[in-house]
Amino acid sequence: MNATTTTEAAPAPRKQSESLWSKAVGKFLRDRWGMASLLVVLVYLGIALGVWAGLWGTDWNTLTPTINAEASAEHWFGTNRNGQDIFERAIFSTKTAFEIGLVVAILSTILGAVMGAISGFFAGRWPDEIILWLKGVLDSIPFYLFVAAVAFALQGYAFSMHVAMVATFWTTTARLVRAEVIRLKGFEFVEAAHALGVPELRIISRHIIPNTTHILLVQATITFVSAIKSEVILSFLGLGVKNGVSWGLMISESTNEVTTGFFNNFLAASAFLFVLVMAFNMFSDALQDALDPKKTG
Amino acid sequence: MDTLQYALRKLVTGIPLVLGVTFISFVLMVYFGPDKTYDLIGKNATPEQIAEIRADLGYDQPFFVRYGDYLRELVTLDFGYSDSTGERVSRILARTIPISLALTLPGFILGNALGVLLALIAGFFRGGLIDRAIMAGAVVGMSISFLIIIIGFQVLLSSSYGLNYFPVRGWEVYSLGDYLYYVTVPTLAIVFVSLGYNTRFYRAVVVEEMNRDHVRTARAFGTPPAKLLFRNVLRNAAIPIMTRIMFSIPLVVISGSLLIESYFGIPGVGKVTYDAITTGDQPILKAVVGATAVLFVLTLIATDVMYKVIDPRVSLK
Repeated sequence: MNATTTTEAAPAPRKQSESLWSKAVGKFLRDRWGMASLLVVLVYLGIALGVWAGLWGTDWNTLTPTINAEASAEHWFGTNRNGQDIFERAIFSTKTAFEIGLVVAILSTILGAVMGAISGFFAGRWPDEIILWLKGVLDSIPFYLFVAAVAFALQGYAFSMHVAMVATFWTTTARLVRAEVIRLKGFEFVEAAHALGVPELRIISRHIIPNTTHILLVQATITFVSAIKSEVILSFLGLGVKNGVSWGLMISESTNEVTTGFFNNFLAASAFLFVLVMAFNMFSDALQDALDPKKTG
Repeated sequence: MDTLQYALRKLVTGIPLVLGVTFISFVLMVYFGPDKTYDLIGKNATPEQIAEIRADLGYDQPFFVRYGDYLRELVTLDFGYSDSTGERVSRILARTIPISLALTLPGFILGNALGVLLALIAGFFRGGLIDRAIMAGAVVGMSISFLIIIIGFQVLLSSSYGLNYFPVRGWEVYSLGDYLYYVTVPTLAIVFVSLGYNTRFYRAVVVEEMNRDHVRTARAFGTPPAKLLFRNVLRNAAIPIMTRIMFSIPLVVISGSLLIESYFGIPGVGKVTYDAITTGDQPILKAVVGATAVLFVLTLIATDVMYKVIDPRVSLK
């Protein structure tokens, strides 16, 4: 392609070869809301990394004699009914949320990409049929019941919630990747690879999956949001986080406090959760807009 | 006649799906599930007593015999007795499902109707201030957890810290007045949690339809907005809208009622399921998972058949 642009007759040289990615980055940088939401997500990530490094949030489990205290200089958001500092717990929960979100988003995106690529590449043949059937089956089981069932099977195992989420969240990614792969299969570069005798597995991994990256990136952000939102509900149902604390556990312990008029725990956890989910949703939208080649400007 | 044949053929293709769902739930909940032997026997049981209990529970049977038993239970709708209350599972379901339907249906219908309406408005004013305001609202709605919505509405509307107009817990419905009294707050919560997602989805559908030539032509001929939206846009967008509604029925009824009912103490199938999850009541969980899966597959088939009814262009192949 470069050959055509460097011929003598070429008009004013193009400044740079415009790839999907450089265009997307440019578009994203111009998206004010997208950049603002990315900033918020990065602040949260910084908080989570700080907790992970032991810089702050270390007192989340310390009991103090002051129970259900109001906000003060010592306890920024007050204390809960056990006398634990709510601010420390909310900060520590940021790490929990990122742990769950990242593990689930990365694993289910990888699984979805592989399954979707196989199923799209062999569309209409038996590997596709089996994967489609599996997707249909997993989609037919109500999510919370599936998690409950997995929790039963993996009793006492701290990662049962993650396993259940990965096992159900990959299906959407796989569906989108499958459709894209079926579209890509018709392109000349895949045909050329076939003609050159490149093995099928290599065509899938080197030529097809890399071309679905834009779908995977957006899906990963959507899965991240679903994972931390599901954690809240699963923790309320007693199926979620077992060791440590999370916003979901804080909200579910606050259900006993709001009935007696103490809202600090509930409000703190809800606000932390809402801002992160909101920022991530907006980030995801901006990413989608930036990576959509059909949208211009 | 064609339609009937089509429906039957679809029904046959649903069988592998039902088998898959039941197989997975069997493996997870029964085969690898908790061993109930020691919950049922007293202290100092002899090995013979233990063996007897295990035989009663079917633990000594091979894998496929037990799976076959589970399938038979599903076909005959006879799931045995609840572990915690001793009541027949089928009777529990018959008693609680109507309550859950009465509880979730108003919110489900309103959530979808309002979603379509907002999507039509946003799609019509595409790119304008109204569109952006509606879509920003949708993102905010999508970002609030269901649990936060439930607790928030309960505090604001049902407790002495807020307006205190509605009951905090319970379900004692003997008249229409009672019904409205108990159903209002859960309905608001359901509408609120689904509206953001619904509006976004339906707007995408509406916008796609708005871009079509026939809509532009109708606009050029000066069709009034209301007529344009309802006759030219909505009727042509019926298929994706119907699909979404149908597909969310089984999940909304079970998953939606799970949280609402356990939080508001309403004795529907969601509360029963919640209690079964927390106490490990296997017969009930088996029944709920199996029944939901069958319901889901039936919905899938009904949706396919309905396409034909809605849209005569769909071919029955």
